[in-house]
Amino acid sequence: MNIAVCVKRIPKTAEADLFIEKDGKDIKKDHLVFHLNDWDSYAVREAAILKEKYGGTVTVLTVGPEESKEVLTRCLAMGADRALRIEKPISSNGHLMAKILAQAIKNQSFDLILTGVQAEDDGYGQVGVALAQMLGLPHAAIVTHIEIDGERALVRRELEGGIEEVLELKLPAVLTIQTGINEPKYVSLAAILEAEEKDMEEIHLEKIGLTPNEPLDAAIDQVFFPPVGKMAEILKGSPEEVVTQLTEIIKKKKG
Amino acid sequence: MKIDPKTFIQDYHLNVCIQCGICTGGCPVKFRSPLNMRRLVRETFFTANPSLLFKRPELWACTTCSTCTLRCPAGVKNVELIVGLRSILTHQGEVPSTVRDAFENTFLHGNPWGRFRDRRADWAKDLGVKILGEETAETLLYVGCAPSYDPRVQNVSKALVKIFQKVDLDFGILGKKESCCGNEIRRMGEQTLFKKLAKDNLALFKKFGLKKIITISPHCFNAFKNEYPDMSIPVQHYTQVIADLIEIGRLKMSKGLETHTTYQDPCFLGKQNMIFEEPRKILSSIPGLNFIEMDRSRERSFCCEGGGGRMWAEGATEGTRNGEIRIKEAVALGAKVIATACPFCLLTLEDAAKISGLTDQIVVKDIAELVSEAM
Repeated sequence: MNIAVCVKRIPKTAEADLFIEKDGKDIKKDHLVFHLNDWDSYAVREAAILKEKYGGTVTVLTVGPEESKEVLTRCLAMGADRALRIEKPISSNGHLMAKILAQAIKNQSFDLILTGVQAEDDGYGQVGVALAQMLGLPHAAIVTHIEIDGERALVRRELEGGIEEVLELKLPAVLTIQTGINEPKYVSLAAILEAEEKDMEEIHLEKIGLTPNEPLDAAIDQVFFPPVGKMAEILKGSPEEVVTQLTEIIKKKKG
Repeated sequence: MKIDPKTFIQDYHLNVCIQCGICTGGCPVKFRSPLNMRRLVRETFFTANPSLLFKRPELWACTTCSTCTLRCPAGVKNVELIVGLRSILTHQGEVPSTVRDAFENTFLHGNPWGRFRDRRADWAKDLGVKILGEETAETLLYVGCAPSYDPRVQNVSKALVKIFQKVDLDFGILGKKESCCGNEIRRMGEQTLFKKLAKDNLALFKKFGLKKIITISPHCFNAFKNEYPDMSIPVQHYTQVIADLIEIGRLKMSKGLETHTTYQDPCFLGKQNMIFEEPRKILSSIPGLNFIEMDRSRERSFCCEGGGGRMWAEGATEGTRNGEIRIKEAVALGAKVIATACPFCLLTLEDAAKISGLTDQIVVKDIAELVSEAM
């Protein structure tokens, strides 16, 4: 079972103060720390688990700048065997990402291609599905369980309202992995340092028949903070006073 | 030191164990978990397959308070055995998810809670504290993670700044350049991350030409003093500094705090570094303060359960928390204030006072807060 996992290096923004770049098209990132996208870490772990069960190799791919090597190293420490970095285009979006990955993957032989459901930074959730379409492979999105039975994969996927769908796909197939499918292990710093010794392949877009200036079918025009709503009211005072005020408000609204 | 289960017997002196049971007798979590140090030492000594010892949740119950190691008449390195076992688990990635997050957060953000690095010194805004790199000072107040980010412990940092400014002590902080000391990281078993933190911090200390470091937390104090390799800069816990200031007459407290106050010895300050007198000297110097001693004090002090990574490895224990037992002991003694000198003790004891419903009978304070109030 040869598995490819597509991963992304993303900035951690949960606790950070965010500012918008002057051109208004992105957030400032120079003061942020970067990490492997959370969904992708579940995908890499799942690939490692499948490799343990069924044998084969795990290849991780990323499209990104030089710094992206750090997430590939992490993936190698998590059990991947091969790593490939594709230099990023000048500007990109989810659709172009899928195109680049499809070009890189199409001439290689994989039984399973995994991506995370979405990336923490832009949250598009499109790359995996678009990639499947471009490769002409069956796919399942938001996968929470995988079993392999010969040439087929039996997967469960999460639907709205707590419903699960069970699907059977013919391999090779593309699956987008949901968090919670497994429990990612801790990747120790010692394991990462050991993985730094492993080989990593790096290529430019020309190598896969593309250019750094690929046209985009959609581009970000403007990013902005959500406008502050008017409905929020912050109650002030001691816990007792706040409770009294809150009770009054609830009584009033109840009508 | 390379950690290898095959050499555990030599590394941790397991062969000298006489099975007297003093380690288990003094263990503060023995009633709260299946952890039995005497048995663990024996099993590690005899096992042909050390990996069988690994998958035990109780390995995470140990607070590394070191009572066992300090009392052992034979010289078994019990706590280092726990750290060694945890190190193997860490290398295998088999750690509780909360511990995993603490490691990853420390690696990425420089603190175990994953708080934003740029906000590390927000507590010091408007206090007129020098930030090293922007201004110079030979004395560093190393703040630490909990005193930087935890709103309750930030009070302690502020109180200390007020005290130092009152006596015109020339000091600075590292601001957002400061990273975790790594004490708990090492005790949880991430030796390589600890070494990286030590290396980075030492480089920072050298860069600023520091002559002295003062810590707020006994845990940071312990790391710098006992665990950092090639640490040539003198380190003091803040209680030592304040006790000296009182001794030489530079710090005077004029306001009386008419209260019965007892003191919780933090394990990393007391047992592990033998600093027992200074905190008591400070408390006794506060006008009007009536210092009363709990039965279990000094070397016999009862661990609050906040050390050794227990702040991030909840679970593996059951029953009444040590903090609650401690608060009840203090109340029974007639204390209205339980003082301590450690961020973790402060947090665990304050939680315990709330859980026990005793907040109307006793308050938990850091010594720095009491001194600041009495100035």
